[in-house]
Amino acid sequence: MRPLRVGIVCPYSFDAPGGVQFHVRDLAEALRDGGHEVSVLAPADEDTEVPDVVTPAGRAVPVRYNGSVARLAFGPRAAARVRRWIDAGRFDVLHLHEPMTPSLSMLALWVADGPVVATFHTSQVRSRALQIAHPLLRQSLEKISARIAVSEDARRTLVEHLGGDAVVVPNGVYVDDFDVPPAPRWQGTPEAPTVAFLGRLDEPRKGLQVLAAAAPRILAEVPGARFLVAGRGDEGRADAEAALGEHAGAFEWLGGVSDADKATLLASADLYIAPQTGGESFGIVLVEAMSAGAGVVASDLGAFRRVLDDGAAGRLFRTGDPQDLAATVLAALADPDGTEERRRRAHRFVRGFDWSQVTARVLAVYEMAVAASEALGDGAVRQDLLAGRATWLLGRGPRLRGGEDR
Amino acid sequence: MTWSWSETALLVVVLLGLVLWLVWLTASRLDRLHRKVVASRHALQAQLDRRGRVCVDLASSGLLDPASAVLLADAALAALDSPDRPAEPRPSEAFALTGLPAERERAESALSMTLRSVLEDPDDVAELRSTATGDDLVGDLYSSWYRAQLARRFHNEAVAQARRARRPRAVRWLRLAGRAPLPRTVELDDQMPAGLEGA
Repeated sequence: MRPLRVGIVCPYSFDAPGGVQFHVRDLAEALRDGGHEVSVLAPADEDTEVPDVVTPAGRAVPVRYNGSVARLAFGPRAAARVRRWIDAGRFDVLHLHEPMTPSLSMLALWVADGPVVATFHTSQVRSRALQIAHPLLRQSLEKISARIAVSEDARRTLVEHLGGDAVVVPNGVYVDDFDVPPAPRWQGTPEAPTVAFLGRLDEPRKGLQVLAAAAPRILAEVPGARFLVAGRGDEGRADAEAALGEHAGAFEWLGGVSDADKATLLASADLYIAPQTGGESFGIVLVEAMSAGAGVVASDLGAFRRVLDDGAAGRLFRTGDPQDLAATVLAALADPDGTEERRRRAHRFVRGFDWSQVTARVLAVYEMAVAASEALGDGAVRQDLLAGRATWLLGRGPRLRGGEDR
Repeated sequence: MTWSWSETALLVVVLLGLVLWLVWLTASRLDRLHRKVVASRHALQAQLDRRGRVCVDLASSGLLDPASAVLLADAALAALDSPDRPAEPRPSEAFALTGLPAERERAESALSMTLRSVLEDPDDVAELRSTATGDDLVGDLYSSWYRAQLARRFHNEAVAQARRARRPRAVRWLRLAGRAPLPRTVELDDQMPAGLEGA
């Protein structure tokens, strides 16, 4: 396949990186390693340190949208920047992430024409705002030549809320980066096994409170157990400590950890617990834990169930049920052979999530989008001259001439 | 208050302009969707053609047992030879909005079925891949097959969008879709054999 010029748009700011941003960064890197030319457009402050593949598209504004605060970029100035980036990039294919989030990707879809691939990450609940704006967005949506969902759950949400279909290409992980030696300070012993938790402490969806509620029962059977908790959020920590009472001493608070420390933690701990209560469409951290060789105990959300190969690569417990979590952790600790067997299966299973395989599948989608466009001689990505005509007629459209946006 | 002659005329002109503008908007949307349908069908057809050619190569490579080779060659040639557009296309159908002819769909489904029985066993596939030629051919087969699956999804998606856009009554009454036939999805069996999927 000939090298492609790929333009990737990320809707969320690199000022506060999260799952989608990491995914975009890693995908761009993997594509570059494959000899393709990549440019990423993402919101970021001038002075924010971004990977050099990223073109900062200016400050993102924190706005409350669909129940949580996100840092997004929008408005005529952002649209003008997107237009200039598309003009300058002369891309063979445009890859938009979360085009239904009101930020750069939505703008790019609006102003671009040509081979467009879109990836849907979340399995978010139906948004009323989207329903209201849907007639406006429909035309944009029809411009997407190929839709990707990161999981079966994300696909189902897409089908239910927007209609239409998508192909499933999972998120990628650099599996080998997690193959690190364990650190003795986080390694457990049979009397004092270590149990790890990762994630924001003050975000109830991450489920720290479920683990805290399960801890007393685990400690009653295994008094030496150590709980290693990595993540930020003082409020969550205070709540958990209050709930734990006399057992609080068993919890070690590691705060926010670096990528390297995260890998080491996962490679060292006996068990990794994922007690998330919802809102997960993929479960990348489970793949990371499996890559590092941790035994996994996770809530039985649809996404987790699939990533864990229906329980063959890790144990599942009833979502949000501390009793069941405690019982499952105790069973895992009492059955090292079974845990080892799952760990071995997990090690093989995660290969399918390695970037080498994921990138090949994403490229196949690009190829089909480009092929369809070339079949009619339509060629590369360009500005959609019809876009914004309606607002232009009303005299409110973004000023394009001269490319001035200050 | 009564409307003066000039006010009424102005109102009519404005309304007429608005209606014309909406009609133009809808027509260009339909045009875009029709182009998308045709483009994605071309992409699908290219991958199906490629899959057929790989199958002919595989059958003539001497890597398969003779019975499998004959069956595979027969199915592949049937798929490649079957017409990829209606026999006597009316001018309006030359743009091939109506998917693939039923004959072609049947031939491709039959080829998928033959391939599933030939490549059913993962061990057989692994053995095929042990030679350099075999590895190339199986790799090509997987690649074209996977892309055909993708292309078919994207095509059917485009068809669904175009059909949805043509549903409103006004669109039908004003014949905004011109003489373009109603697009049809491509329905064929493209389930991969288990042995190939893990390849």
